[in-house]
Amino acid sequence: MKKSEPMSESYYYILLCLAKGANHGYGIMQMTEQLSGGAVKIGSGTMYGATGNMMKKGWIQEIMSNEPGVERRRLYRLTDSGRDALREEISRLKRMLTNAEGV
Amino acid sequence: MTKKYKNSWKAYAAWNYEQEIEELNQASEQGWQLVRGGCFHSRFEKNPEIQYRYQMDYRKIRDIGRYLETFREQGWEYINSTFNGWHYFRKLYDPSLPEEEYEIFTDRESLKEMNMRWVRLAMIIGLVTGAMALIQAVRMILRPDLPRLIMMLTFAIESVVLLRGCHIMKDSDPEKKRKGSQFFIPVFLAVIILGSAAFIVLEEGRPYFQLQSDASSVSEPIVDDEYSSFQIRYKDYYYMDLELTASEPATLRIVDEEGNMIYEGTSTDLHEKDTCLKLTKGRYTILFSIQSGYHLDMRIE
Repeated sequence: MKKSEPMSESYYYILLCLAKGANHGYGIMQMTEQLSGGAVKIGSGTMYGATGNMMKKGWIQEIMSNEPGVERRRLYRLTDSGRDALREEISRLKRMLTNAEGV
Repeated sequence: MTKKYKNSWKAYAAWNYEQEIEELNQASEQGWQLVRGGCFHSRFEKNPEIQYRYQMDYRKIRDIGRYLETFREQGWEYINSTFNGWHYFRKLYDPSLPEEEYEIFTDRESLKEMNMRWVRLAMIIGLVTGAMALIQAVRMILRPDLPRLIMMLTFAIESVVLLRGCHIMKDSDPEKKRKGSQFFIPVFLAVIILGSAAFIVLEEGRPYFQLQSDASSVSEPIVDDEYSSFQIRYKDYYYMDLELTASEPATLRIVDEEGNMIYEGTSTDLHEKDTCLKLTKGRYTILFSIQSGYHLDMRIE
């Protein structure tokens, strides 16, 4: 059985932010800070590497925003396999949490 | 108003990049703003009114547009890149913002990924030069000579320095990446360049002396004929291959300028392979005595 590796915190929050809809890098960064109450930050180097790697894995896709008045901006969108990966990670985290509560 | 510029020729080892960032930040505090970063040469512009924080990234960029946008949207201004893949960024410093605002790697994984990108390349070069040093060491044991010794040492130094750099770069303790003498890289490069230059000069200065001669018979015995000569440019070990066959015993001698005997062989069938001759600078003469037909084939390297 193929077992997926635990995700890094940054990967996890990027996928989480994209679950509600496409977003650009800055939006992901802000939303991550908000969701985590400032505990998790995603700097530019980390963001570029993580999004690049997840595009390679096929978890996210790059699309161009066609909003009028806005400078052409890159948006990231979650793919089906990205959603699966996120679900898997959430159930892994839930399991771990349940296990901890049982101890 | 004319702008004031300053050049810096400081070179930092890759594994001391955190030190470089720190010193760029300090320069900015003193009013010197980096306008062009480089491995050996950086250029600063005087502007005491602003202060920046700097960051460096190391990677091969696949999508420059996406890369720059990812940095721009968090307030990072791209400065320039070096030929070997280091990228410089700056952000206007605002003391009211927390320090994390000036980080570009915010998790252990991505920082490690960056370090490992450099380590992978340096590791390959370090291992290849290490293998070259080993090959030269084996050749040194079999046939020692000065150019080989120098090449072996040059490869060994390069290999040790790079592999040690990989070790520091892999270390997650940033303190280790902040210590380094500013003379290290210039001295290291000078050693590599001088070592390689010395190897080429010494290798070029070695004789390639070859002699081949045949006769089915001789009309009268030849005694100590000054057959040929060769020049040695520096003291070292040299190696002789010799094959001399004759129906009557023949003698071959090598003498130096003062007439001292370096080598003497008498036989009807003389075979020397890689015979080591310790020679100093000067001209050497080959004397040949023969009384019958012969075949001679000799080489000195």
